[in-house]
Amino acid sequence: MANNAIDRIARSTPSGFAKRVRGLSDRTIAWIFVGPSILLLLAINIFPLIWTIRLSFTNFRVNRMNAPIKFIGLRNYERILSDPDIWQTMQATAHFLLWTIFFQVLIGFTLAYLINKKFKGNDLWTTIIVLPMMLSPAVVGNFWTFLYQPQIGLFNYVVGFFSGADPSSFSMIGSVHLAPWAIVIVDTWMWTPFVMLICLAGLRSIPDSIYEAAEIDRASKWRQFWTLTVPMVLPFLMLAVLFRGIENFKMFDLVVQLTGGGPGSITTLTSIDLKREAFEKWRTGYASAYAVILFVTVFGLASIYVKALNKVKER
Amino acid sequence: MSGYSVTEPSKRQKWIAGVLVITYALVTLMPLLWVIATGFKSPADSIAYPPKVVFHPSLEGYVNLFTTQTRITPDMKATLTPPQTWYERIVRNKGMMIAGPSRYGQRFLNSIIIGFGSTFFSVFLGTLAAYAFSRFRVPIKDDLLFFILSTRMMPPVAVAIPIFLMYRQLGLSDTHLGMILLYTAVNLSLSVWLLKGFIDEIPQEYEEAALIDGYTRFQAFYKVVLPQAATGIASTAIFCLIFAWNEYAFAVLLTSGTAQTAPPFIPTIIGVGGQDWPAVAAGATIFLLPVMIFTIMLRKHLLRGITFGAVRK
Amino acid sequence: MSHFVNGLLRMRRGAWEMLASILIALGVFMLMQPFWMPAFTYSFTITLIGTVMFIIVSHFPE
Repeated sequence: MANNAIDRIARSTPSGFAKRVRGLSDRTIAWIFVGPSILLLLAINIFPLIWTIRLSFTNFRVNRMNAPIKFIGLRNYERILSDPDIWQTMQATAHFLLWTIFFQVLIGFTLAYLINKKFKGNDLWTTIIVLPMMLSPAVVGNFWTFLYQPQIGLFNYVVGFFSGADPSSFSMIGSVHLAPWAIVIVDTWMWTPFVMLICLAGLRSIPDSIYEAAEIDRASKWRQFWTLTVPMVLPFLMLAVLFRGIENFKMFDLVVQLTGGGPGSITTLTSIDLKREAFEKWRTGYASAYAVILFVTVFGLASIYVKALNKVKER
Repeated sequence: MSGYSVTEPSKRQKWIAGVLVITYALVTLMPLLWVIATGFKSPADSIAYPPKVVFHPSLEGYVNLFTTQTRITPDMKATLTPPQTWYERIVRNKGMMIAGPSRYGQRFLNSIIIGFGSTFFSVFLGTLAAYAFSRFRVPIKDDLLFFILSTRMMPPVAVAIPIFLMYRQLGLSDTHLGMILLYTAVNLSLSVWLLKGFIDEIPQEYEEAALIDGYTRFQAFYKVVLPQAATGIASTAIFCLIFAWNEYAFAVLLTSGTAQTAPPFIPTIIGVGGQDWPAVAAGATIFLLPVMIFTIMLRKHLLRGITFGAVRK
Repeated sequence: MSHFVNGLLRMRRGAWEMLASILIALGVFMLMQPFWMPAFTYSFTITLIGTVMFIIVSHFPE
């Protein structure tokens, strides 16, 4: 009802005047609309970020609030970047990251290629395949510990059934040799659909006419695959790989629930190590420097990601 | 779909593709089905070897999940009244009695409050910002958009360090408000990027027509753009809800009791005498089921959601 | 290649962004490689330079 009144007033305003008011208010409206979001992000993201950078130059510890805070320059950075244990966690992360990406791209692309054959009911099965991706990683990690139980776990039973090994003879989580693969398997199970969906979008963006032209040129199917399909899907694949790379570089929830970083420190990925420094040993200044290193790395990767994103958008 | 086409796969190809994809789908579904089934097993069945596929369904896991129990001592037995409800009967059958509700219900409620609260704010703020980014010439727009996106990419454990310190100073640690604010900020990037994509697709002519009709900018936004973007707003909201619902790192580092959500709590469910797998499975099932339903509802927009609106299909 | 060098000399965005991306990728590789400790030590410097460079050069003209 009230809107009608506003409408009438608006309509009766001389158009020249109204235009000027609107012209002025566009800018104001833009700031009114964007402002709250920026303010919130400044408060929850930027301010804490600056604080972290400041703390990274100190020896501050949260559990000793009364101790004097000393500025120690770049000491924290020097210690982190010359610590073989942290180098070790980086390598554990690299192992996890490379193998998950390898399997996810391999399986994800194959699945997308098969689904793109448009067999009957492919929509339904795609939806079923996608399910694990949206679940809570922590809860997924937790219930996979159940599947990985020696003796009673489904995973061990199935592996034992097909390989003839005794299901209680190996423990995916307890063994130093198997634990790095245990986390790779779960992450691959969970995130292959992600790569698949993006590859599928890439495959579907290729116009049929290109294949028809190739067919006229009598290019073999094999040649068509490598000279047309793969290059056309590549930008999409890049996007998926970069995103999975960033996500798994900072992997925390799934692995913490699955192995807790063990046995020993064989699956202690970077984020798990950082959590120990910051929230168990309470070396806040040191952990802040550690965090800044991760921030910069992710920020760098994110800028490449956005570049890849824009490339795909242009298509 | 007319006539012969070189790009249309042959019948045999389709058949092979179908068989392979369906096989993968069934294998990938197994762990989920297994967990759901375990929720309905008795504790003895859940640790049977070989794993039991056919079993006698029982609700013991669910009862254990929602209650705390104590063992009945012989002298208590005389004073006990016979069990009134089906769940009391289940508990009594194993020589226990219900002492009270467990904390799972409370944690689940926290997940709902924080999930819906943060979703509301992030979609509300996100819609406004996305409209402005889509329609107006905002200075340093590209930098702002990149900055907004990069906030989501940051490792949560690293972000949690200063947030932990800040919340302690402000008295926000372990409060619903603190978690809602944090999740709103994290989800804002997703909602701005996704909604910008959706609003970009609405032809600008609609609003221009409305403006010529004498609507103000705000009215045009409210009466023309919002209804057009309704589907986009709804699917963005579901994405934000799923994220807040699933989030673990912030929840485990910044909450301990009052405002703790379900993901950090589920792994701590331990029954009497060792890990109570049916109860854990029941907790996971109740928690994961809404997300599965949402995923099926979202299937058309899934791709957009996971690529921040870049890939539209 | 000469196109790339030309782009660098004429302060074009594409070429410089490519250079920054390569630096970032190199830094990340050095951070996570298992071969040589000094490379790990200097990885952060390289990534930082690449990232800052990327922010600056993304404002160069196309």
